[in-house]
Amino acid sequence: MTKKIKLKISARLLKKKLRKDSAGGAKHCRFCNNPELVSEINYKNASFLRKFLTERGKILPARISGNSCKYQKMVAREIKNARVMALLPYCATSY
Amino acid sequence: MLRYEMLFLTVPEITGDEIDSIKSYFQKSVRSAQGDMLSFERWGKYRLAYPVNKNDYGVYFLTRFEVELENRDALLKDIRGSYVFKFNHLIVKNMICRLDEKASLEYKRPESLEDTPHDIDSFLKKNDMEGLLKPKAGFRGKRAEEKSIIGGVAFGKETKVAVPVTAFEEEDELEDFEDNIE
Repeated sequence: MTKKIKLKISARLLKKKLRKDSAGGAKHCRFCNNPELVSEINYKNASFLRKFLTERGKILPARISGNSCKYQKMVAREIKNARVMALLPYCATSY
Repeated sequence: MLRYEMLFLTVPEITGDEIDSIKSYFQKSVRSAQGDMLSFERWGKYRLAYPVNKNDYGVYFLTRFEVELENRDALLKDIRGSYVFKFNHLIVKNMICRLDEKASLEYKRPESLEDTPHDIDSFLKKNDMEGLLKPKAGFRGKRAEEKSIIGGVAFGKETKVAVPVTAFEEEDELEDFEDNIE
């Protein structure tokens, strides 16, 4: 019995490891320790902000883009400003 | 001095005279508030992300100005009033932002329709045709293979030239040695 339980745990851990490795290691924030890139976050620079949108025009979650909380808030605010000025779409549809 | 910038969107059919009238009005109002007009730039024509007032296209302008704290409220009120009452048929959207005074005035903006080439001549001038004419650029996999092959050939030639000469000599020597024994 004890052996079986051990095997089960090891298999789960192995799967976890595989999943981590397939994703290409741990994610890190691209803005931390990179002041040049931080200065590009502006509502006028719409082509840069477009990287943080999905195909449908939604804001990418930090879970996927890997931004830290501080910069995710900055990016989201500037995207919302750019949407007001019609530089970025609220909802991407073909019109 | 407080530094401000205003980005505004106008209808695509705006004429040069109308632009001048907007510019002169802003200059007057800023001057009357004892401030400085830093810049008045035309970004160009853009395709909008969504239709605004049934317009798919629009022209963006960016102005920057400095004012003292005492005259700020009056100036901003004047500017806001101007596009509500005076230029309401031209200016569709606007955004006023406070800028950092120590930061540089450089900024990045998306490419307008006027920046991107439409004619064949400008397209050829940029030399973008190279990628289309050469088949190498089309297939990334093939390109990498060719590169590796070229490297291998160059290396093989040197070794091939060097190895057989020594091999033949050895063979000859061996043959001679065998002959001598006989």
